Amino acid sequence: MKIFDIALRDLVRSFRSASALIFMFGVPLLVTGMFYFMFGNLARDGGFNLPRTKVIVANLDAGGPKFQTSTKGIPGSANARTLGELVVSILQSDDLAELITVTRAPTAEAARAAVDSQTSQVAIIIPADFSKKFADPDAQATIEFYQDPTLTLGPGIIRSILNRFMDGMAGVKIVVKVFVDAASPQDYILVNQIVRRYLDTSLAEKEDVASALIISRTPTAAPKEDNPLLRIVAPIMGGMMVFYAFFTGASTAQSILKEEEERTLPRLFTTPTPQSTILGGKFLAVFLTVLVQVITLIIAARLIFQIEWGALDLVAPVAVGIVFIASSFGIFVNSLMKDTKQSGVLFGGVLTITGMLGMISIFALNSPGAARLSETVSLLVPQGWAIRGLLQMMNGNNALDVLLTVLAMFVWSVAFFVIGVWRFNQRYA
Amino acid sequence: MSANNIAISVTDLHKSFGELKAVQGVSFQVQRGEIFSLLGPNGAGKTTTISILSTLLRPDQGDAQVMGHSIRRDPMQVKSVLGVVPQEIALYEDLTARENLDFWGKMYGLRGAALRQRVQEVLEIIGLADRANGRVGKFSGGMKRRVNIGVALLHKPQVIYMDEPTVGIDPQSRRNILDSVVALKNQGMTVLYTTHYMEEAQELSDHIAIMDRGKLIAGGTNAELVQLVGEQTRIDLTLTVEASRVLPIWRAVEGVAHVSAEDGRVTVLVADSNLVLPRLFESATRLAARITSVDIREPNLEAVFLHLTGRALRD
Ligand SMILES: Nc1ncnc2c1ncn2[C@@H]1O[C@H](COP(=O)(O)OP(=O)(O)OP(=O)(O)O)[C@@H](O)[C@H]1O
Ligand SMILES: [Mg+2]
Repeated sequence: MKIFDIALRDLVRSFRSASALIFMFGVPLLVTGMFYFMFGNLARDGGFNLPRTKVIVANLDAGGPKFQTSTKGIPGSANARTLGELVVSILQSDDLAELITVTRAPTAEAARAAVDSQTSQVAIIIPADFSKKFADPDAQATIEFYQDPTLTLGPGIIRSILNRFMDGMAGVKIVVKVFVDAASPQDYILVNQIVRRYLDTSLAEKEDVASALIISRTPTAAPKEDNPLLRIVAPIMGGMMVFYAFFTGASTAQSILKEEEERTLPRLFTTPTPQSTILGGKFLAVFLTVLVQVITLIIAARLIFQIEWGALDLVAPVAVGIVFIASSFGIFVNSLMKDTKQSGVLFGGVLTITGMLGMISIFALNSPGAARLSETVSLLVPQGWAIRGLLQMMNGNNALDVLLTVLAMFVWSVAFFVIGVWRFNQRYA
Repeated sequence: MSANNIAISVTDLHKSFGELKAVQGVSFQVQRGEIFSLLGPNGAGKTTTISILSTLLRPDQGDAQVMGHSIRRDPMQVKSVLGVVPQEIALYEDLTARENLDFWGKMYGLRGAALRQRVQEVLEIIGLADRANGRVGKFSGGMKRRVNIGVALLHKPQVIYMDEPTVGIDPQSRRNILDSVVALKNQGMTVLYTTHYMEEAQELSDHIAIMDRGKLIAGGTNAELVQLVGEQTRIDLTLTVEASRVLPIWRAVEGVAHVSAEDGRVTVLVADSNLVLPRLFESATRLAARITSVDIREPNLEAVFLHLTGRALRD
């Protein structure tokens, strides 16, 4: 079959070109690797951590006279007999263990001294009347926060955790105050129930606290993602793969124009080979080249960076979707070019701009406010759809969502392909 | 001459690129098994004609038959009997010579053992069997030209077009190519050859058509064309004495048709320079004159072109 001979010849040429190989495999893996090591330097034991902040807590809380609360759902809360202990147990919870190490001090002075001597970075002093003040609707319960002035990041994180807690407490207090005004102030059983309810709900989001502070969590996190480093690196790898798959699609399709200029295409037209076979072979080469690239990158990323792409029955269609959309886009944009002298416009302009627009949704993963807009913008370009499919798959969205995105990729592909083929046929008619 | 003897028959081809009339009313016939040359200066329209005859370009007007197949109606048929050596080297530089031949062989429908065997044969014909596994991009201009020709030989075409196959190469490669063109003819192939080197046309061709500005301005065998300017050889001489002294004597020399002098240079027209030159030297010696330079110009296509267009063939 001549069509395969032509395609195979192009494949051989692509994979013989050092620069093609660098852009197909080298750069995407290298960029991902850069991020991997940049963030990986912060990782310990294979996990991803900011440097842990050493916190020393002096919990002097003597408890409220009758006030007791058990807040189910808050880690460590089962043992908390006072509000102060509740604070301590939150700080000591497993979720925060990645961020802070908590030691206890017997007195406020000892805690402050630890910070002064730089053995701890933050001292938290919970006063003796903390529970009591909380129970008193008209008093203000406060925690003393004492930090090493040269540090910002670690203490900032702890402060925001405490703020969140205190905000929750303030809300509880308002409820309690309203209740106490309206009902019998002695009815602490009821107050207890209300406080518990409130803490249950207001602190239920607590598990987000740690993660929101450290890593870019994708909107719906993969169910069994236990290496947070991957939550950064996987979308980057996906983005790089899409960006460079489009790059490869365009540069491989450009070989049609190149062959025209190198005169081998006209020569092919002097052989007894139909034009449809010649162009078909060239198009097939584009698909096959990108296919080899995408499969290689998926496997390489799995092996090198342990990236979990998702279930294989979704990875395959998404990969094929990416291959189709990247190849057909390459054929399409090249069909609009006059000659390879315009490749500056093609690679520097069209591919870079559409590629960046497509990846905008990855950059915006961290900022929920921008996420919506950026996703909309990214879907204006084919790269955006390819990335959407990848992210949905990696986030473990349900199969139907993923397949719908793949379907959209095929629609784009068909449109690009039809226009590209039509234009090339015209050109050589 | 029966129609069966005609390999290529071209009738009134026209092709314009916008305003520019590249080919205007070209007609000629090429017999089977001959070497037919299109001789013309740069821009004459040779490549355009070849492109039309290889179905790469559609003529605006006119038609041509190649081995009985119309370039308009049966382009595929035409392509399958045809080998084309394009003027510009058209090879994959990042592939080896063997890989190139292998690929192009497949494009001509060869497969398997037959292909392998033919590739080896062609490598030997073009004298590159020992460089078969070298990348074409690393080859010299002459070697590339030879591979360029080899590609057109793979399927043993009945007709082969060679568009200026010797441009810009070293004398050895050129010799190798000219010899192989004759060898092809001897194997029974019909060769349509274009060149702007009149020596090549003269050496190789059974028939020559001279092309200029999109038109054929003369055609025939080398001898027939030369007769257009007469059969006389022109001898230009310079002497140590006044030209006027030898003029009357040389006019009387047997075999001299005409003598004239200009700027101290004497021009003698003769039928056969081998006979006349010794006599000219003899009479000069008798006059105690020395001949300091001699320039013999056999009648050639250069002269024909000059005669027909008033311009030199090479610019
Ligand atoms: N594709 C084209 N578009 C516009 N003009 C063209 C094209 N091809 C050829 N020409 C013009 O047509 C004329 C004939 O060109 P052609 O290439 O046939 O000449 P040639 O005899 O092969 O010359 P050379 O010896 O330089 O190869 C030239 O003036 C050339 O510039
Ligand atoms: Mg030419």
